[in-house]
Amino acid sequence: MTEPSAVPADPTNTDAAELTVDDLTVRFEGLAAISGVSLTVERHEVFGLIGPNGAGKTTLVNCLTGFQAPTGGRVLVGRESTVGWSPMQFREMGVARTFQAGRLFKDMSVLENVEVTAVGLGLGRRRAVERGRAILDWVGLAGKTSLRAGALAYTDQRRLAIARAMVLPPAFVLLDEPAAGMSDAECEGLMVLVSSIPRTFVCGVLLIEHNMRVVMGVSHRVHVLDGGKTLAEGTPAEIQRDQAVLAAYLGVEG
Amino acid sequence: MHVFVARHQTPVLLIVLLGAAVAISEVGGLDALQVTLVEMLIRVLVVVGLYVFIGNSGVISFGQVGFMCIGAYAAGWATAEPSFKQVMLQGLPELLQENQFSFPLAMAGAILLPAIVALLFGFAILRLNGIAASIATFAFLIIVNSIYSNWDSVTAGVSSLIGIPTPVGPWVALAFAAGGILVAHLFQMSRYGLLLRATREDGVAAKASGVHSVRMRLLAFVLSAALVGAGGGLYAQFLGILTVDTFYLSLSFITIAMLVVGGMGSLTGAVAGVIAVTVIVQLLRFGERGFPVGSALFKLPVGSGELGLGLLLALILIFRPNGLSGGKELALIRGPREMMPEGGAVAGARALQDDSNAVA
Repeated sequence: MTEPSAVPADPTNTDAAELTVDDLTVRFEGLAAISGVSLTVERHEVFGLIGPNGAGKTTLVNCLTGFQAPTGGRVLVGRESTVGWSPMQFREMGVARTFQAGRLFKDMSVLENVEVTAVGLGLGRRRAVERGRAILDWVGLAGKTSLRAGALAYTDQRRLAIARAMVLPPAFVLLDEPAAGMSDAECEGLMVLVSSIPRTFVCGVLLIEHNMRVVMGVSHRVHVLDGGKTLAEGTPAEIQRDQAVLAAYLGVEG
Repeated sequence: MHVFVARHQTPVLLIVLLGAAVAISEVGGLDALQVTLVEMLIRVLVVVGLYVFIGNSGVISFGQVGFMCIGAYAAGWATAEPSFKQVMLQGLPELLQENQFSFPLAMAGAILLPAIVALLFGFAILRLNGIAASIATFAFLIIVNSIYSNWDSVTAGVSSLIGIPTPVGPWVALAFAAGGILVAHLFQMSRYGLLLRATREDGVAAKASGVHSVRMRLLAFVLSAALVGAGGGLYAQFLGILTVDTFYLSLSFITIAMLVVGGMGSLTGAVAGVIAVTVIVQLLRFGERGFPVGSALFKLPVGSGELGLGLLLALILIFRPNGLSGGKELALIRGPREMMPEGGAVAGARALQDDSNAVA
């Protein structure tokens, strides 16, 4: 796998240096999905977020992108409060995401999929197409721009989802299980791509992933959630030695 | 140049096709067909109007014929005989009561009034998704029908509005149908069309891409109402007489049936559906009237028209769920870069799906 090619970086709408979650709580009808979680993603790093199913990872991402209003606590982009922001506002202010289920615009072409984001953020059609082509080149889909998105192979769909989030580079990108269902070889390619994001785009990455090799391989720091609460945070090496994590998450008796 | 032709060939081909039909009937002196032809062209405008909203947004609207009613009455108010209006429509503003306006002004009213109503009503309902939005549009149809049936001093209630001049013939209807096709084409090629189709494909992902779905839907809704309203204005000035119930359930059903038969995923589908349904309904009517086979008179039972249309609809839904066009556009030349919205094909199937809840 070669190093991804360089992409001209546009200035984003924010010069925020970090994305902050402060004492966040989300309750669904009294049931706490997340309680008192705090974390900070910096713009120059890949920040891993792990935890067993139902730990609240996707709920957290939804709070960070305007799809879910927190019950308590704050989400800050830089120093700016995000109370009442719509998903569109989050994207306009430089927080992008992908979805576990992919959620591509399946019946539109590959190029159109990325064009939508660029046009949605206010670019003219011609420039949107230029930017779209550049970003598709970066994820390795340059030869497939006119295919129907739904006709792409599974891994290519995952790459397209990342491209769609990265066109007009955001300040932060939240990747929700990008490696799900990928083979080891395909994971290698994905890891190269993800770890190049902070350098290439000056964009912080919040990576949710079950594949430990991927998370531990690309993250600078890792945050562990369990049952909606923070279990641990540290470098991959620290997390892999953490007794509480091993016990609760990896199912190893302490 | 090649790219330009490839991009814009579909509306041109469709218009040429309709133009050829008009030319043939004029040259061949097929006067018997003229009424059918004009009605068909007006319906092309209406169904293309339906397509602008339904096809691009994936939200099924049962209410667009309400805009046709509003447009028709707007044209009727503008052009009916002042002597009739002063007696029967005393609730109209004096300006309308005392004057008889020209065809272009009447059409401007038939376009603007539905568009304004669509803006207000759409603002209220287009936050809804899927079936909830569809039911709200159906409610709109009922509201319009109730108001126009009962507001006696303005609409003459359930009695007819008469004395409307009838300048609309095949060529005028063709011109408006062509205009509608062009507008619909330009809209679906535009940035707004692109963004609206993205919301149809996946509403949640569209939001994450910074797309303001409600605004895009509202724009298409207003544009659709303007086109459908223009269809109403033409219809009023073709028939010369208006009754409210013309614009109710059966017309809603037949126009939506036309869109489904043709395929709601493409502009070609909208036009093809109108042509196909018109031809079949005419053939069945012809059969109902009876025609001689040898010495005997072959006659289909009364009601075959409706039955045949229902059967056609069922067959299409079973064997070609994406309609006759299959969501594709009519094209002779393939562009170097596929610019045609290939989308659409599954718009119908998705339309009833609610996309507002689960975010995963």
